[in-house]
Amino acid sequence: MSERYSTGELLAVLLARDLRDGETGAAGAAALIPMAAIMLARAMHAPNIQIAGEMFVNPRPRQLWDSMLDDRALGTCEASETFTELFGHSHRGLDFFFHSGLQIDAHGNINLHAIGPWDRPTLRGPGAANISYGVRSRRFYITATSHTRRNFVERVDFVTVPGNLDGPDSRARAGLVREGPRYCLTPRCVFDFDPETLRMRLRSLHPGHTLEEVVAETGFRFAADPEPATTVPPSDDELRVLRTVVDPRGALAPGRTARH
Amino acid sequence: MTPSAGGRHSKLIGAAEIGPTLLRFGRDGCSVCLGGLFKQGRPVALVRELIRTGLSDLRLFSSPGSGYDVDLLIAAGRVAETFLPAVTLENRFCPSFRGAVERGEITAHAIDALTVVGGLMAAAHGVPFQPVAAWAGSDVTSLNPLARPIASPFGDEPLYAVPAIRPDLVLLHAQEGDEYGNLRNLSTMTYADALMARAGQHVVASVDKLVPNEAILRDPRGTTVAGIYVDAVVEIPFGAHPTASFPHYSMDESFIERFADLAEAGRRAGSTAEVTAYLERFVLGPADIFDYLEALGGYRALAPLEREARFL
Repeated sequence: MSERYSTGELLAVLLARDLRDGETGAAGAAALIPMAAIMLARAMHAPNIQIAGEMFVNPRPRQLWDSMLDDRALGTCEASETFTELFGHSHRGLDFFFHSGLQIDAHGNINLHAIGPWDRPTLRGPGAANISYGVRSRRFYITATSHTRRNFVERVDFVTVPGNLDGPDSRARAGLVREGPRYCLTPRCVFDFDPETLRMRLRSLHPGHTLEEVVAETGFRFAADPEPATTVPPSDDELRVLRTVVDPRGALAPGRTARH
Repeated sequence: MTPSAGGRHSKLIGAAEIGPTLLRFGRDGCSVCLGGLFKQGRPVALVRELIRTGLSDLRLFSSPGSGYDVDLLIAAGRVAETFLPAVTLENRFCPSFRGAVERGEITAHAIDALTVVGGLMAAAHGVPFQPVAAWAGSDVTSLNPLARPIASPFGDEPLYAVPAIRPDLVLLHAQEGDEYGNLRNLSTMTYADALMARAGQHVVASVDKLVPNEAILRDPRGTTVAGIYVDAVVEIPFGAHPTASFPHYSMDESFIERFADLAEAGRRAGSTAEVTAYLERFVLGPADIFDYLEALGGYRALAPLEREARFL
């Protein structure tokens, strides 16, 4: 187990590496890790990333917050919009977006609404503000801050945001034409999606984690190389920029999110 | 509403008139729509007054993100149905909402932002529905009572319609406003407030500070909700507390946390004593906003929220 970085820092670094210069995206509701990723990408290799779609354009947060949707969190920004623009952004879609979930399933579907029967759930979750970005954005990322059989399930009880539904045919029938979920990042590993089945498969194990552990903690079967790749851990440079430029208050720091 | 100099009717009401005004515009079972979002710009003082009126079986709408205030309304037993996209304190669940749904006491419909925003747009524009093209594959669409698939008259792309949402009562909070109901948001984010004002049948707004009409005339572009859409305006210092009203004061996170802790303790224990005591102390007990501020520990206790807002 490394003490060099927290889970939050690791996930932010991994996400940042996949964001390209010139793209437009937004952090979503659980904003802490995604916003860190966007700001880190901007500082490292993608200065022309545009942040838009959530009623503000190119915010300048002074520090990271759990949510991005208020004046305190955004600091200042280049333009503020109102919810009437939500239709336009939903129509155009973003290049990238982020989701987390109460439940996440083998096909990358997201449940934020209810566990158990819909009309009498055992757990009623928060629901979601905007479900259209998962549909219309060119791709999205799933981030999970815990990874157990309780939240990684074969099929979600409720599809708040569709990932790959039940596979390629069901995606096509539902009219899902974008890439959908690209990666699912957890405290243990990175999943991507098998192009044939659109089910999760193991892409890499984070340093210090084992295939046996991920199998034991995941509530569905997934394809994996018998000797899986190891996630490339954050470099000293990535951690330095993350801690000095993006997150000087240490919202992601070890002890704040689970130590890796 | 009394005639002011020149005969133009003022929409300014005093704090004691809020309850009677809400009772004039609302009734049991009416639809109520709340402005702001999550922990910013929520009309919480008006929500407390709404609870005090005793109006019940409310059908609750909001901008796409709501938390403390809707949980308070539900804790007070005033809500029958919710049409709310995201209900969360952002760092934790809303205990009363969650408990009431899980016990089957309220109906919480599967709604998303485009449902509410589209419905308000249709109402504001005087059309029966708003088409929505950006939905696919979600149970929110199939279970949403306000979403129906429709055929486009001009093509064959898959479409849905959401019906016009015309709330009986819209409650808003702004930083400033004049006696004619012109509202001025000084905050960066204004969310869906202007849209709700145009869509609602009756609009009641609180402002932190009443300003003279001349101040509005000097900066018409600063008016975020025109007075023509507002039925009554009331000056309530800290009217959004415990949510933020930037740049005047920041959100009172610890106050919201304390509520969430006791509501959650009550939910787990299956007990209503905790929220009953809370409602008595902060909602039903205080005679007016000044009493409420006293219950918080006085103005001095709120100074850090003003300092945090100024620092931003």
